[in-house]
Amino acid sequence: MSTGLEPRRQVGTAVETTEEELAELIGDRALSRDDHKNAPGFVIRPDEVQDVLFDLRDEAGFDHLSCLTAQEYEDRYESIYHLKKYADPTQEVSIVVPTTSDEPTSQSAEPVFRTADWHEREAFDLVGIDYEGHPDPRRILLPETWQGHPLSLGYNQTKPQVVSLTEHANPIQPDQKDAESDTMFLNIGPHHPATHGVLHIKAALDGETVVDVEPDVGYLHRCEEQMCQQGTYRHQIMPYPDRWDYVSAGLLNEWAYARVAEDLADLEVPEYAQVIRTMGAELCRIASHMLALGTFALDVYGDFTAIFQYAMRDREVVQDILEDLTGQRLMFNYFRLGGVAWDLPEPREEFFEKTRDFLDELPAKLAEYDDLITGNEIFQIRCVNTGILEPEVAKQYGCTGPVARGSGIDFDLRRDDPYGYYENLEWDVVTEDGCDNYSRVLVRMQEVEQSAKIIEQCLDLLEDWPEDDREIQSNVPRTLKPEADTETYRAVEGAKGELGIYIRSDGTDKPGRFKIRSPCFHNLSALEEMSEGEYIPDLIASLGSLDIVLGEVDR
Amino acid sequence: MSGASFVPVPLQQDDTVLLPERIADLTGLGGLGTAGELVAAFIAAFIVGNLMLAMTGVAGPWAKRKITAAFTDRIAVNRIGPFGLLIIVADAVRLLSKELIIPENVDRPAYDLAPIVVAGSAMLGFAVIPMGSGVHLADPEVGLAYVFAVSGIASIGLVMAGYSSSNKYSLIGGLRAVAQNIAYEIPLVVTGMSVVIFAGTLQLGEIVAVQAEPLISLGGFTIPQWYAFVNPFAFVLFMVANFAEIGRNPFDTPEAPTEIVAGYQTEYSSVYFVLIYLGEFLHIFLGGAIIATIFLGGPAGPGPAELGIVWFLVKIWAVFLLTQWLRSALPRVRIDQLIEIGWKGMLVLSFANLVLTALIVGMIAS
Repeated sequence: MSTGLEPRRQVGTAVETTEEELAELIGDRALSRDDHKNAPGFVIRPDEVQDVLFDLRDEAGFDHLSCLTAQEYEDRYESIYHLKKYADPTQEVSIVVPTTSDEPTSQSAEPVFRTADWHEREAFDLVGIDYEGHPDPRRILLPETWQGHPLSLGYNQTKPQVVSLTEHANPIQPDQKDAESDTMFLNIGPHHPATHGVLHIKAALDGETVVDVEPDVGYLHRCEEQMCQQGTYRHQIMPYPDRWDYVSAGLLNEWAYARVAEDLADLEVPEYAQVIRTMGAELCRIASHMLALGTFALDVYGDFTAIFQYAMRDREVVQDILEDLTGQRLMFNYFRLGGVAWDLPEPREEFFEKTRDFLDELPAKLAEYDDLITGNEIFQIRCVNTGILEPEVAKQYGCTGPVARGSGIDFDLRRDDPYGYYENLEWDVVTEDGCDNYSRVLVRMQEVEQSAKIIEQCLDLLEDWPEDDREIQSNVPRTLKPEADTETYRAVEGAKGELGIYIRSDGTDKPGRFKIRSPCFHNLSALEEMSEGEYIPDLIASLGSLDIVLGEVDR
Repeated sequence: MSGASFVPVPLQQDDTVLLPERIADLTGLGGLGTAGELVAAFIAAFIVGNLMLAMTGVAGPWAKRKITAAFTDRIAVNRIGPFGLLIIVADAVRLLSKELIIPENVDRPAYDLAPIVVAGSAMLGFAVIPMGSGVHLADPEVGLAYVFAVSGIASIGLVMAGYSSSNKYSLIGGLRAVAQNIAYEIPLVVTGMSVVIFAGTLQLGEIVAVQAEPLISLGGFTIPQWYAFVNPFAFVLFMVANFAEIGRNPFDTPEAPTEIVAGYQTEYSSVYFVLIYLGEFLHIFLGGAIIATIFLGGPAGPGPAELGIVWFLVKIWAVFLLTQWLRSALPRVRIDQLIEIGWKGMLVLSFANLVLTALIVGMIAS
């Protein structure tokens, strides 16, 4: 089943870097090769990290530090820098940096990629690798007073963490007020109407102007990576992704795991199931963008106004459709390795009709949003030219998804690194060059239109699908045991951006290391760049326009 | 409230009978001299005060919920009593029985006084408003100036609340409230003055009386000389300045939930919170009362004169409805934009309006 359309991936915009060229570029600095399933891997010395990454970024164009995985082996620690190109994310390279067990010190990559800042803090926090030259080597997810590194091998999980109150850093203490300065330190959160969850922003204000911002994350850390490492590939991991970005982006998250596990174990997915997956994922994207729009309006309008309620009302229709499809409203657990859990609900006509009704009403609703929100002059003076995120800065922070596309970065994994059924469908990647809060809202609203277009085509395909060919799952072994030390990193375009997972198999039926690359984590780290020098209301609006879900930031 | 009824008799209009006098006549208290007048004045103030409190404190929050719900596709309160009306009782019990939490480092006298100042200042304003059907406490010659003066006292209450709470959000909210009130009080008063130029008096009873004159007659249908019709430009200016003055959308920056939590009222709970909340509602209704009086003909309306208070309340509620509509539909401007609109836009426009009005009135007079 093909629509006969050519895949519209923009090949040729990035210069192809072959493996030989990479090997030549890295040269003697490569101690050995450690190829991953998704990319060639080069092992380098811990004191040459910056050197190699600078070369890769500047000479070969690997400008996207997609993820940093840290893990401990019996005999060593290892940091893996997963690099990509924004212009062509299928070109990947993994830089593996082993360090010894007794002295796990590795050079920081922060000068090369700003996003390494938070990533290396997380690696230090959870695994225990020290990064030399890191500007801010503190814990990030766990409290400052935590004892030990939970994902390291020697960590005693049963030992209780007893920390007295006095040992906790008092967040009110660093009152940035001294004789010379007239700035005011302000804690925004962890409980504040605009933090979209439990987020703590340390802000320094000069009057109403924000001079310094530091997001403090980790309040919603639920050990998702470790829980996934304790589940079996076949069934026990799939429910967890629903709980990362828990505001209705469930199927998109599930796809991230489905994709990486299918890649790891070489599983085939029937085309029919891919179409259902594509449709379900885009429904989730609409629901997620509706919520993003509603909460952004909440931040700018300041109250649960008509817009928020309208967005929730329209999202509710999507939720109903998803409930019909999956049996659940939020925690779908609908994807299976090699397909989906079950076929479309019977009677199929009713489901098609319901979904088509929704799609038919959507343009009128979007026009209403245009009237109410984006066409409103007050909204425009609030959002145009505030929260500026220049494309180069966005790339430095590893921003993806609507945030990157609102800064004019033409990057969408659905098109650039195709999976599912996307490459056979007719749709466009939406970008806006405003780099401001307004552009990000526009991108989301237009992406809803594009998603509707995709769903419509999927419905057409599903309606005409021959009845004897509706295979929803391929034949997947009951127990999956990928070959030991197979490593892969795979990402999908989640609602907020590139949602990636790295898995290393250890020969058992459970992953040896399961690392989640959360788009919200990267996007949030750019908040500092967006809001410094602007007013408090702009900081709040910028935070809203990033559309973060703390469940995904903190995992 | 009662203080306003002690204006000397010569200042009052001769032909109107004010509420204290009427009560004195009806009850025979008038025969008891000054003491009797004093009691009558207290009774009158009590009646007007309770009428306004019932409207703002009881009907206001309920109506606000219902109106907002209608705008946002919901149903709102409907469980207790008809149309959920008895929720007000439940709310009153709930709010009054809550623990009054007073943070450790607050500046005590100011912190305690602020809610009273906020709520009280608005109540004072109602003393001189002619509400029709004889409900009119006092009618001093400086009526309009008095209303602006007492409603302006609320800003002091807000800055007291913000400054004494010893909370950074409250401080920002209090400072915003002051900046905003200063920026918009001037256009508000200057626009109000253009009405004074038309009417030739500050006395509210007189302003209402002048508006009863016909503006034009079209085939037996007479349009009265309401200043909203005479000078719609001033009317719009006054409405906008009024929204800023009472701190409603799109100018609700001093509270600005999602930005500074709840602004100056962040640290208030229980009874104090109720008072501040009540003060806000009173200010919305006082704003509506001023607009109704100087632009919409006060209690004027079709039907017998006894229906005056009904028309008056209808006009106040219309303004209230508009504030709720704006709240549901408009985003909030940023504080710097708000100040800019105030000083660079509203101030200039209001003075232009004043000068033009003066010229036109002067030309007609000569």
